Amino acid sequence: MSGAVEIAATTERRSRGSLWSKAVYKLSRDRFGMVGLAVVGIYLIVALGVWFGVWGQGWSDVTGPMWAAPSDEYRFGTNVIGQDIFERAIYSTKVAFEVGLVVAVLSTVIGAILGALAGYFSGTWIDEIVLWLKGVLDSIPFYLFVAALAFALQGFAYSMHVAMIATFWTTTGRLVRGEVIKLRGFEFVEAARALGVPELTIIFRHIIPNTFHILLVQATIVFVAAIKSEVILSFLGLGVKDGVSWGLMIAESTQEVLAGQFNNFIWASVFLFGLVMAFNLFSDALQDALDPRSVT
Amino acid sequence: MTSTLKILGALALICIAMAGCGDGGGSRDPAASNQKVYRHSMDQAPVSVDPTQAATVYSNFVVLNVYDTLYAYKYLARPYELTTNLATGFPKISDDGLSYVISLKPGVHFIDDPSFPDGIGREVVASDFVYSLKRHFDATTLSQAAWVWQGRIVGLDEWKEAGSDYDSEISGLRALDAHTIQITLSKPYPQLVHTLTMGFSALVPREAVEHYGREFSIHPVGSGPFKMERFDTARATLIRNPRFRAESVDLAALGFDPALHAGLGLEAIEGRTPPFVDRVDVNFVTEDAARWNSFSKGSEIQFAKIPTEQFDTVLSSKTPPTLKKELENRYNMVDFVEPGVIFNTFNMDFDEFGYHPDPAQAERNTALRCAVIKAFDWEQRSERFYNGIAKIYPGIIPPAVPEMDSGMSRDSVTRDVEGAKQLLADHGWNADNLPELVYGVAASVKQRQLFEQFRGFLTEIGYPSEKIVLEQFATFGDISKAWKQSKLPFVSKGWNLDYPDAENVLQLFYGPNGSPGSNDANFADPEYDRLYEQSAVMQEGPERTAIYRRMNEILVDSCVAIMGLSRTNLLMWHENVIGYPDRNIVGGFWLRYVDLREE
Repeated sequence: MSGAVEIAATTERRSRGSLWSKAVYKLSRDRFGMVGLAVVGIYLIVALGVWFGVWGQGWSDVTGPMWAAPSDEYRFGTNVIGQDIFERAIYSTKVAFEVGLVVAVLSTVIGAILGALAGYFSGTWIDEIVLWLKGVLDSIPFYLFVAALAFALQGFAYSMHVAMIATFWTTTGRLVRGEVIKLRGFEFVEAARALGVPELTIIFRHIIPNTFHILLVQATIVFVAAIKSEVILSFLGLGVKDGVSWGLMIAESTQEVLAGQFNNFIWASVFLFGLVMAFNLFSDALQDALDPRSVT
Repeated sequence: MTSTLKILGALALICIAMAGCGDGGGSRDPAASNQKVYRHSMDQAPVSVDPTQAATVYSNFVVLNVYDTLYAYKYLARPYELTTNLATGFPKISDDGLSYVISLKPGVHFIDDPSFPDGIGREVVASDFVYSLKRHFDATTLSQAAWVWQGRIVGLDEWKEAGSDYDSEISGLRALDAHTIQITLSKPYPQLVHTLTMGFSALVPREAVEHYGREFSIHPVGSGPFKMERFDTARATLIRNPRFRAESVDLAALGFDPALHAGLGLEAIEGRTPPFVDRVDVNFVTEDAARWNSFSKGSEIQFAKIPTEQFDTVLSSKTPPTLKKELENRYNMVDFVEPGVIFNTFNMDFDEFGYHPDPAQAERNTALRCAVIKAFDWEQRSERFYNGIAKIYPGIIPPAVPEMDSGMSRDSVTRDVEGAKQLLADHGWNADNLPELVYGVAASVKQRQLFEQFRGFLTEIGYPSEKIVLEQFATFGDISKAWKQSKLPFVSKGWNLDYPDAENVLQLFYGPNGSPGSNDANFADPEYDRLYEQSAVMQEGPERTAIYRRMNEILVDSCVAIMGLSRTNLLMWHENVIGYPDRNIVGGFWLRYVDLREE
């Protein structure tokens, strides 16, 4: 009897909690999502270790033998110029996080702002301009756009980042625009307007915070897309200019596999697969947890 | 009955269709028509086959097969030796070395082509040579070879300045009669005959140039052993020129050496008249892996350079390169050190590494360059990128030319990390004050790895990794432009000899050739320049060799460049192909001697 009362009380507390607390609860119950989060956490620790100089600092040394097999000294072996593949793989984790974070944060911020402006001023010239810009950017094939930008910004180390941010914000912007069109008819917006709150304040203080569940999910999706794109672009010679990344390691391996050397290919692929898979699991779980239709 | 007729009708249609397919396949299959077809491969496609554009080995290769030059290199002789081609003999040179008289073989004809009256190719005459050389000095031709004769033939530069009127005569370039050419030089040019072996100097008929206009670049009309049937980015198809002059093969005169060429089956062409194959397909395959797959498949291309990644698969030993037993009966292989040099040079225009107005700082800069040279590990470079079988030597003169000095000290190509550190310390260099070194590369995995290896060498002598900066260029053309404009402090490049004379590499450091010329180092040493000018007008001989070697020593002593290395090339071709397919220096000239064994 007391058990039934406790369950009823818990259910009541849950149903009375905010969307965020319900989402956190739901997320914590998703096993795959939690495993994904744990793996992402491990990658993050690896990346932070590289950032703070704890490990991965010998990625550019060429003191090893050519194509050494995995051993205690070289855990994943060495490449053709004697570089330690383990050191390069973990250093690339930092590069992946740098690219993922920079692109995810900036494209989400831009998408949120432009999407909110377009949605709030839907049907006006502001909306027209944002939609036109989005349409133009979406109509250009991504890799062609990156190549053109890399050529235009010759020598600029972050042309890949610029290209990704310029193209990845559009989806976020479209989703936010739709959400804002819905929100601007809500009573709290009407009330703010009636009280004379400036429109930009309404957008940034009252409306955008209510799109955070979309932004969070979009940011995780963009994070993964950015990492995958970086690998492809680096493989094509359009990505990381100086340094190392999993894409560059795979590009190096195209010649090595012909000579029967697979360490570069295998380990860069394993690291990439692990992070992308984990982030996808986490992203799916987050999407489920933040879906207003399922959070009740 | 009706249904039987329908069935018979359907069967007849199927038979007709199959017969049609069979015919089509047969006409494409050379074996069916008993044609001899040799399928060659190259790693790039030429953009043009107009001799004025034959600046790449790919273009030169095709040009030398569809056109004729006055001279050529002997097919098999190594070191390379000159021989006659369209000329009857070597030129008669005046005592002052300024006048060359060359006689042409009579009775040589261009291929039949609509540009000639009645479509019948006319005889090749001396005025065709005069016209062909003039084209390089016609601004509308956009020739890539004017530099070869610029400032050397009397009146030629003035002819250009006067508007390039082909009907006006040039005193230094004349056709004395139908078969005699006279060239008058403004100063001695001992390499002149070498330049007359190059595709640039090939003889073209004026009628065809005027008839085809811009399309002449893809519609060659020459007197070479082959004529072009098809040309695009995938393939050039050359078919035997039925009117090619009949000259039987004298193997000894071509440099045949039984000790070197045994087993290649070359004896079979003795006394016969080339060309020996009916058709040559030159396939342009840019990817190493694709080319190798096509070659090793057996039924496709019959010649390929062995990709470095395949060495262990193909060779049982690298020194000397030896084919694996199971491959010996299927393929022929030849190895040779390429006539070229790979080197890295500082750009002396940058005062943080090169020349400096303050003598003390200039001395420190020299010490810095010498330290970088000491840090460079040529052995490792050869092992990692050239399978450990490249030739490493001090200076810029490669082993392919007789002027190379094998007795020179090897200190400049021997790694000395401690010596480099000491040199830096003695001259006040440390991690804080070492200058930033920008290393340019054309975007490719290999170029990036070469950079990373170089950076690794320098970090071992205490050069901060972050001060060795990579700058990527989209294409080789882009980085080449940056070199020409003197925008990079460090130049990493290779140079293939145009002709077998050390002058061709020594000119890379001649002061007046500075940017945008070929002297990317912008090296300017008074003694070096004086010796270059002195040797430039000398004929080959011990005295000139001594001067060349002294110039080489000046380069090493001034620590202007990290040099040098020549790659060992391994070429393979199918066992049923009789030939010696070395395109270096000889160009595509050897293709006329290729034959196929009867199956």
